[in-house]
Amino acid sequence: MSTPTQEPRTALATLRELPQNVWNSIFRNPLPSTDLERASTSFTNFFLHIHPVKVNRNTLRPAYTMGLGLIATFLFVILVFTGVLLMFYYVPSTTQAYDRMLDLRGTVAFGIFLRNMHRWSAHGMVAIVFLHMCRVFFTGGYKKPREFNWVLGVLLLLVTLFLSFTGYLLPWDQLAFWAITVGTSIAGYAPLIGKQMQFVLLGDTTVGQEALLRFYVLHVAVLPSVLVLLMAIHFWRIRKDGGLSRPEKAASPAPDAGVVKLKKIYGLQGFVRGPFTKLGNVPDDSVYSWPNLLMAELFVFVLTISLILVVSLAFNAPLEQPVNVMHPPNPAKAPWYFLGLQELVSYSAFWGGIGIPGLMVAVLFLVPYIDRTTHGVGKWFAKERLLANTIFLTMVILNIIFIVIGTFFRGPNWTFVSPF
Amino acid sequence: MRLPLAIASLVVLIVHGVVFRNQFFHEWERHQAAYYEQARSMSKNDRERVELEARAPRIEQVIVTSFGDTRVDRCTTCHMGADDPRFAGHAEPLKAHPYSEATGDVQRNGRWERRHKFSDFGCTVCHDGQGRGLDTFYSHGEDEFWPEPLLGYVTQPNWRKDFGPKLKGREYMEANCAQCHTQEDFAGTPHVNRGRKLFYAMNCYGCHKIDGMSEGTLGPDLTEAGKKFKVDYLWESIVEPRANLATSFMPDFHLNQADVESLVIFLKSRRGVNFAETSLDRYKAHVANVAVVIPPGTAGEKAGEQLLGDRACTACHKLGDRDGGIAPDLSYEGLIRDDAWLGDHFLNPRSRVPDSIMPAFRFPADDFQKLSAYLESLKTPPAAADARTTFTNLCARCHGEKGDGNGKVAWYIDPSPRDFTKQGFLASKPRTRFIASIQEGVGGTSMPPWKRILKDDQISGVLDYVVQDFAKEPFKELKARNIPDENPVASSPESIAHGERMFLLRCTGCHGRKADGKGPNSLDILPHPRNFRNHWFVESVPDRRLFESIQYGVQGTAMPSWIDTFTPNDVGDIVNFIRSLQNARK
Repeated sequence: MSTPTQEPRTALATLRELPQNVWNSIFRNPLPSTDLERASTSFTNFFLHIHPVKVNRNTLRPAYTMGLGLIATFLFVILVFTGVLLMFYYVPSTTQAYDRMLDLRGTVAFGIFLRNMHRWSAHGMVAIVFLHMCRVFFTGGYKKPREFNWVLGVLLLLVTLFLSFTGYLLPWDQLAFWAITVGTSIAGYAPLIGKQMQFVLLGDTTVGQEALLRFYVLHVAVLPSVLVLLMAIHFWRIRKDGGLSRPEKAASPAPDAGVVKLKKIYGLQGFVRGPFTKLGNVPDDSVYSWPNLLMAELFVFVLTISLILVVSLAFNAPLEQPVNVMHPPNPAKAPWYFLGLQELVSYSAFWGGIGIPGLMVAVLFLVPYIDRTTHGVGKWFAKERLLANTIFLTMVILNIIFIVIGTFFRGPNWTFVSPF
Repeated sequence: MRLPLAIASLVVLIVHGVVFRNQFFHEWERHQAAYYEQARSMSKNDRERVELEARAPRIEQVIVTSFGDTRVDRCTTCHMGADDPRFAGHAEPLKAHPYSEATGDVQRNGRWERRHKFSDFGCTVCHDGQGRGLDTFYSHGEDEFWPEPLLGYVTQPNWRKDFGPKLKGREYMEANCAQCHTQEDFAGTPHVNRGRKLFYAMNCYGCHKIDGMSEGTLGPDLTEAGKKFKVDYLWESIVEPRANLATSFMPDFHLNQADVESLVIFLKSRRGVNFAETSLDRYKAHVANVAVVIPPGTAGEKAGEQLLGDRACTACHKLGDRDGGIAPDLSYEGLIRDDAWLGDHFLNPRSRVPDSIMPAFRFPADDFQKLSAYLESLKTPPAAADARTTFTNLCARCHGEKGDGNGKVAWYIDPSPRDFTKQGFLASKPRTRFIASIQEGVGGTSMPPWKRILKDDQISGVLDYVVQDFAKEPFKELKARNIPDENPVASSPESIAHGERMFLLRCTGCHGRKADGKGPNSLDILPHPRNFRNHWFVESVPDRRLFESIQYGVQGTAMPSWIDTFTPNDVGDIVNFIRSLQNARK
């Protein structure tokens, strides 16, 4: 009872200041109004510090990137979110999985919607990652110094395909069972290790309980971890390789560039060599990430999620008959992104299943090491890259044609049918 | 950028609104609210009224474990009044399930008591449908992927429109009654019982296997037909056998609609092991089945002619103007076969034609006798005609209009009918052999002896017609070949063993390791390689012919000449080996 008059005032003030104090303790920066504050917003926030402080204007051009990498990332975020919620209801057991699907569709609150979102995002992610790769190729983004990030990107494409493929089995309906049966038999055509690979994947000679469990663990634990790790390196390398690819003109710094003028070398950074040394080398054609880059990201995110929501509302994820091992559908088709391969397999098991896809992946990995020219970076379909772009475009179109044939033009016994 | 952002955000908001509305305002909640309201107005005491008022909408379910896998039936979530007699007059979904003595319900003190309590049986055990769903479309099985739509009530969108109306009706639920009520004369399942009788009467059992009932192997196993197929598919398969499999040779039995329906319901009730059966029951049925005597047909006391019609023989065979288009013509059977042949062939068709596809039907012995007697009486030969007409009437059914061995029924006949357009074959054999084949028939094959139907001049006329019109090459004087008339190598264990070695070394690719003509290459070869287990055939051919075929090959077939490979002694050993197979059989 020493200072009774002081107490209420302080307590009240504390209470009044509480929200502000909590806010300030979390976010050290106020909403930025100066360039310095804009810069520090980026690097004092855990979630934002993945961004550079400034980005080149070219990076923000929607027509240049089309936001494909971002869309793929956001789809992955949606997939993790919906996937974790679905995991609460799913049991990887041949006797229960299908019943759980029925429960999700009929009884669980939001169950059908979560499943739709997960399904369509997964299909979308495969398509978008592929398109992202096409974008990087057609703008020459894989060229030095970004060779390794291209390799990481190809790995990410493969992991995405495998993630989608492992998820395909989980509903345990006829569609899932026979698609995986077809898909894993394609793997079985690999020379020498094909059969062993198939066995390790399935834990058995046919798709069954063991396969379901393996695919589940791969789908919910192993592959997402790998994907997150690769994504982290992929993003990190963007920064370390000097940002997104852009035309040579924009890449070279203006003579008098430099917001931060340096008179001496700071610490370890002085030893950093290579193209990513930014000190004293800041191009002037850049803007602050806050708010320019963040607005763009928000825009892509909202667009992505609204599209997925609309699609999920309009179309239900397929759920066919429960698995009947004795009654294969005719034709049994792999997931759509493998139908091009299945179409090729129908001509030649080895070349369609292993030869051509193996060659394609090998060539994709080696692209930046084969094409060593440095011209035409940062421009869609640059004239200097006519040959490379033509070859790649031909491959892409061929791939799409085979997928379309396999999806729409193949009927019972893989005979040619017209969908019209 | 801000306008599209705003629009996209609005879309997100709207979709969320719609999703939340869908998730929080269910169709079934409205049905439950209606139920509570009406039940309150009907309740007679306050206690019940208060109880009803306290009830909030919730998912109702019955979990049934006594019938196969665990079933979760949430049907009563909408069908709230199913077990409430006060709702007898209401409209679906609140309508009370009817009570009926036919399903075993009993009336005690003016109150009905169910035989099949919903708490014990659930709903889908009898009705099918998808118990877990809460939405009419999915839970009634209207979605084309659900294997068990509500029996007799729901037709799926991809079903044939012309069958649709026929697949509705409560009688289809008998298929599920029969899962427990397996007695053959159970009064509650008249359609299943009738279908079972038809399964025997129409000879379905000859080709189809149903575990514990029949052993046929020609057609698909129907043990689990009810589990695998929907009623639409079953109906279609019976009335249009080739609708789903273009190569099916199942005959069209021209059943009336009531018979088809009974068969469909019977087949729908075949779902593998029934709830009421143990594997021991199944085994007992299988053992008892060996002695199953087919119940005498409706016309058992009438003549064989009637029987022949009732037993659906003309679903495959030809008789007069009825033609199933699968098996040989029976019109002149009395002139072709004798009593012994018919008797043996009825009991086991493969005892006379070893590669025949005709099933061994298990009719009562009496019926076989009547059928034999009737067939024996078919002794009216066709009116004499010119060679071309004779060929068309008698030969073309197997040998084909163009003489290419590809007649209407050729596909179902093994050994295949001879292809007369292969000039090499006709040119390399003496005319006497063809005359003999026509007169006496070819043992162990579908080629019957024609000598009692055709006069000698008719036979030689037909042969001339065949040679002129199909082979288009006249008979030539054959070069004398150095072939012994009798096998010069005496049969001995050593000779047979050597012959077998030679045979395994050179012949099994086509003739098979069992010498049954079913080697790995045989499928691609027409005519198929000879089956040397066919003792009727092997014993009907002289050594000379076997020698000639091995040494010089058979022109017009895939049999090559072995004269450079085998010495005459080797050939003699092989012939001894082939002959020994027939001795071992006896």
